[in-house]
Amino acid sequence: MTTATSVAPARKQARIRDLDDPNFDPFLADELMYGDELDIYSPIHRMTEENWVHPGEFRHLFGAAAALPKNPKYFTVLGYDKCAEILLNPEVFSSEPMRETIGVSFGETISYMDPPDHTRYRRIFQKAFLPQTVRKWGETIVQPVVEGLLDKVMDRGTLDLVEDFAIHYPFQVIYRQLKLPPEDILVFRKLAAAQMAFYLDPSQAIDAGRKLGEYFTPLIGELRRRSPDEGDLISLLAHAEADGEVLPEQVVVSFLRQLTTAAGDTTYRGTSNLMVGLLSNPDQLEAVREDRSLVTPAIEEALRWEGPVTHSPRMAIRDFEMHGFTFRKGDTIDLVQASASRDPDKFPDPDRFDIHRSRQVRHMAFATGPHVCIGQHLARVEMERALNAILDRLPRLRFDPDKPPPEIRGVVLRAPKHVYARFD
Amino acid sequence: MKVLMCLNCGWVYDEAKGDPGGGIAPGTPWSEVPETWRCPDCGSGKAEFDMVEI
Repeated sequence: MTTATSVAPARKQARIRDLDDPNFDPFLADELMYGDELDIYSPIHRMTEENWVHPGEFRHLFGAAAALPKNPKYFTVLGYDKCAEILLNPEVFSSEPMRETIGVSFGETISYMDPPDHTRYRRIFQKAFLPQTVRKWGETIVQPVVEGLLDKVMDRGTLDLVEDFAIHYPFQVIYRQLKLPPEDILVFRKLAAAQMAFYLDPSQAIDAGRKLGEYFTPLIGELRRRSPDEGDLISLLAHAEADGEVLPEQVVVSFLRQLTTAAGDTTYRGTSNLMVGLLSNPDQLEAVREDRSLVTPAIEEALRWEGPVTHSPRMAIRDFEMHGFTFRKGDTIDLVQASASRDPDKFPDPDRFDIHRSRQVRHMAFATGPHVCIGQHLARVEMERALNAILDRLPRLRFDPDKPPPEIRGVVLRAPKHVYARFD
Repeated sequence: MKVLMCLNCGWVYDEAKGDPGGGIAPGTPWSEVPETWRCPDCGSGKAEFDMVEI
C-alpha cells in the first residue's frame, strides 16, 4: 500500500487558469456582495419583538441587492426556536434556493441537495471532516501555518490581526491539505473569491467555477486511476464511495470548488471576530491567556456573538402552517442565525461578549439540521490553534491606540476589515 | 477510546453529560436514550450514531 510518506508518482496536473477578465478583482467586491452594515442587531431585536416572520429577504431589509430577485414570495424568520424548527424540518423546507446562489458557480453541491441524495453524500463528505480526522491536521498542517505567519510579525511589535494573519491562515491550511501547487495559490485564492460574486456579476462566478472545474475534473480522473491512499484530501474524496459506488465526478468537483472558498472565508471571519471580542474585553483576554481551558469557551462565545454567516435560505415544498402563519409552496425563507444566537430568551444579555456565559444552549453560527456546517470541527481546530499561538507569542496584546478601532460589518457575512494591535 | 458519534455531523454523545437541552439527563446510558431523540446538532436519529475510535 502506498502511504502518505512514501513517494507516489508525480501527478499529471494542468496549471490552473485565471479568470478570462483580468480586470475583475473579487476582493474589492466584498462589501457589495456581503453588505457593509455595522449594526444589524438593533434592527433584528426590534423586528423580533414585532413578529417572528417578516415579508422580504433578510439582506434586502438592509438595503442590499436581492439575492433571488425573481422570487416573488420571500420571508425572513427571526428567533432561535422558529429558525431551528424550520432548519430541522428538511421534509418541508428544502435547500433548493442555494441552487440559484452558490449553485451557479459550485455546480452540483450538497448544499442545495435534499434527502435522500443529501443524506447519502453528506455522510461520505463528513467522514473526511470528523473531529478525530481534523484533529490530526491541527499538529501537522494548522500549527506550522499559524507559526509561519506569526514569525513574519514578531520583530514589529504591531500587526493587523486580519491582514497579517486571519485572512491567510485557513486558506493556507486547506490549500496544503488539498496539495494545491504553491506557485498557483494566488490564482486559486482569487478564483475562490470570484465564485462568490454570483450576486454581483454571475458571469465572473461562472467563469471562476469553470476554471476550477477544468483543474479538478481531470485530476479526479487521474487520482481514480491511482492508489486510493495518497494521504491528501483530494485523493480521499476521489475514492470515497456511496453505497459501494464512487461519488459522481461532478459532485466531488463541486465539493472541491466549495472547499476552496468556504473552508477559508468563514474561519478567517470567525477568527477576526474572536480577536475583536477578546481585545475589546481585556479582562477576558487575560483570563484566557492565564487559563487555556477558556480557549474553547472563548471561541464558542465569539461564534455566538458574531457568527460569520448571518442566515441560510430554505424553500417550502408544500403549504405548511406554523404558529398561526402559513407558508405556501414555493415560498423562500431566510433563517436568520444571527438572530437565533442573540435571542434573549436563550442567551441573557445577548449583545454582551462573555466567555463565562452558560453553554447550555448551543449557538447557531454553524446552523442546525442536516446541513449544519460540515467544516465546523476543522474551524474549531484552526481557531484553537490560532488563538493559542497568538496568546503564546504576542505578549500584552492590545488594540493599537494610534489606529482606528475595528468595526465588524456585513449583512450576509460579517467581519472587520482590520484589527490593528500592538504587543510587547 | 471509542465514543458514540453522529456520522452525519460528528456530534459526540457523552453518557456522563447526556443532552440536557434535548431532555436527556447527565448519566443516561445510550441504551436508555429514546428512539424519538434527535442529534442536537443536525437532527439525525439514533440510527445515524455509531461507535467510533477517536
